[in-house]
Parts: sequence; C-alpha cells; structure tokens
Amino acid sequence: MITKNVTLVDALDKVLEKGAVINGEIVIRVADVDLIFLGLRLLLTSISKAEELSGKSFSHLDKEPTPGDTEYIERLQREIKKAEENIPKLIDLSNPKKAEKGIAQLILTLVDLIRRLMEKEAYRRIKRGTLSPVEIQKLGLSLKAVKKKIEEMQAIFGIEDEELNLDLGPLGNLI
Amino acid sequence: MEGLYLYCIRERADDRSFSAKGIDGEGEVFILPYQELEVVVSRVSLNEFTSDEIKKRAQEDLNWIKEKALAHERVVEEAMRKNGRALSLIPMRFGTIFKDRAGLEEIFKKDYFKIMEVCERIRGKQEWGVKVYLKERKRFEQEIRGKNEEIKAMERELATLPEGMAYFMEEELKEVISKEAEKELHNMTESFFKSFKKEAVASIKNKTLEKELTGKSDPMVLNAAYLVPGERIVDFKKRLDDLNQQIQKRGFYLEYSGPWPAYNFTFY
Repeated sequence: MITKNVTLVDALDKVLEKGAVINGEIVIRVADVDLIFLGLRLLLTSISKAEELSGKSFSHLDKEPTPGDTEYIERLQREIKKAEENIPKLIDLSNPKKAEKGIAQLILTLVDLIRRLMEKEAYRRIKRGTLSPVEIQKLGLSLKAVKKKIEEMQAIFGIEDEELNLDLGPLGNLI
Repeated sequence: MEGLYLYCIRERADDRSFSAKGIDGEGEVFILPYQELEVVVSRVSLNEFTSDEIKKRAQEDLNWIKEKALAHERVVEEAMRKNGRALSLIPMRFGTIFKDRAGLEEIFKKDYFKIMEVCERIRGKQEWGVKVYLKERKRFEQEIRGKNEEIKAMERELATLPEGMAYFMEEELKEVISKEAEKELHNMTESFFKSFKKEAVASIKNKTLEKELTGKSDPMVLNAAYLVPGERIVDFKKRLDDLNQQIQKRGFYLEYSGPWPAYNFTFY
C-alpha cells in the first residue's frame, strides 16, 4: 500500500473543485477556493477578470442586480467594515519603534502611489506628443529622483519593496 | 431528519468496514450496494446541513472548509484501498446529500451504465498531481533579455539617451521584458504539461493556485493532473525526476503527489 500525506492544498484543490457531480437533493456549495481569498481583490483590481471567473457581466450597469449580485455586494460591505476595523491596527502605538516604521511605511506608500500616478500621466503626455524632449528629460529625472528618495527612505526605516503597500486586510493591498 | 452524505462510488469490495468517521465527525461510514457498485455514505442531520449557518460557513469560514474537505478526503482514501488492493472508485465532489435512499436509487437506475463505464475507464489507473513553481523570476527574465532582439535593440537605444529620457525608456523596457517573459513562461509550462504523453492516458491543466493558498513565496505556474496506468507509474516518476532536474536549471521546480482518487477524471 502506498501511503502519502494529504496536504491541505491538495484536498481543497481536489475535493472542493473536482470529483463527480451527482444531483443530490441538497448540495452544499462552497465558494470557489480562489474566490474565498481573492474575489474581493479581483473585483477591485480588474472587473473583467471577475467577469471571467463568475461568468457574470458587470458591464451592463443599468441591469437590476440579481440575488447573487446582492449577496456579493453584502459580502463586500461586510469585508469593508472588517477592513475599517483593521486599519487602525496597522499602526501599533504601544510600541514606539514599530509606530515609527508603521508611519514611515504609510507615508512612503502614499508617496509612491502618487509617484506612480504622475508617471502614468507623464506617459500619456509623451504618447500624445505634447511634451518637448527637454520637458521629457526633466520629468524623467524628477520621477527618478523621487523614486531614489523613496528607496533611500526605505533603507533608513528597513522597509522592503513588498512592504511599500498597505494591507487592507481582506480587501487586499492598496497597490 | 437524517440524510445521506455521499463520498464516492466504488466497485464492489469484500471489506465493508470503515474506521474513518463521517463528515459531521461522528456518523458511521457505511455502504449502500447497487448491483456491481457500492455507494459510500454516512448519515447527517438534514437540519444541520441545510441551515443558513452552514451555508454561510461554507462560503466564508476557511477553517470549517478545511476540516470538512479533509474529512471527505479521508473517507474516500479509505474506500479506495482495501486489503492492499486499489479499487476502481469515483470520488464525489464535496457536499452532495440525499434526503433518503430512494432518491439515490433513482439516480442509479438512470445512470448505472454511465457510472459503470467511468469505473471501467479508470480501472487500474492512478491520478497524480503535478505542480510547477517559478523560483527565480529574475534569472528567467535575464535569460529572455539575452536572446530577444527587440529587447536588445531597446537596450542599445537606451544607452544613447540622456538620463531623464532614459528613465521612461527603462520603464518601457521593463514592461516589454515582463510581457516577453509571460509569453515564454506560457510556452514553457505548456511544454512541461505535455512531457508525460508516453506515461499518462489522460491529463488536465487546472488553474494555478494563489500564494495565499499554497503558502509558498514562489508563484505556481502549472497545476496539472495526470491519469497514469499502474504499470507505468515507475516510468512516470522517473520522468518527473528528470523533468525536475531539467527545469531547475531554468529557475523552476516541481512538486508531485499521489496516488489520488481520480477526482479529475471521473466526470460522466
């Protein structure tokens, strides 16, 4: 007899998603494994991806919400509430050092977010051809400077690249 | 009121005892025979399993889902192996309950031959899971950089630009590299997936799982399952080991598990 350890991931991957389907009189429907973790994040970052996963179209905005939509929205609202309760915990004031890093992380994340937005805008203008080579040069340098400054601050406070983000709990990350 | 929770359907076996407990943690697991087949079930409280609370937990409570999925799998594992012999078995998807035996027998009356056919199709074969992860994306991208002409041309142009303008081009270059990497990654995983043509009689590519689920920091790039005849298992494992060595040189690695009940190959 061959023995093996059934890992949790495998059990979830197979038992919940695969296996023969017989139309029983009662079927317990477990949320799609990925959706349990990522449904909300997907919805926020990419509506089209969510469309693919759920088979539903979000593009007809004038359509009445289906019971499934309502349920989903309610779930979102619950998650938002949970996230709101979570955010204050990000900054741990009982520990001053941690608090310092927490605040630095918060500020740097926001600065980096703004930098990204500016960069996108700069791109749009370059593509549109409304900037002179000199302006492009100046913009590029400024953005690079901001980026380097952020990297420097990261080093000072010991903040990793992937920490340059806000974990909004079940809502996923800011960036 | 009690209902019957379904774990799997298997070919008839002599040993009908079970040590695993049912999905509710207490119900005895037992057999309902139907001609040449046996249905493995346990009794569950219908009140409990139709309650709103359980519906909610099934959607949201990850610990509950974990525990129940494992309980389901334990029963199926036990049903599959009796007296050292692997039985032909169709695992059910989680969560199927019948109110009584009559409802279940109706299904068998209607689908008996279809179910028998599936049983025959998977007889003597095992399901194996293969997951491939990408360990070193940087190395992988570096490789792409070195051989893509478009990228090389961009790099040459980049070297001639003033710093500020170069900044934008660097960002653009990063995007091109990442796009090319995705394309190459797709081709590679496709070729990994097809590496077992000689050994497996059927294969399926499932969606990859997120890091939150795998608990690994490396992203999963392939999540495949294969149906392998018992006599080819040795060859199959050998090929797995060879492939693993080969892909490690390019920054990937694989993990495999099995034998599994044929979860991926028993649709009918």
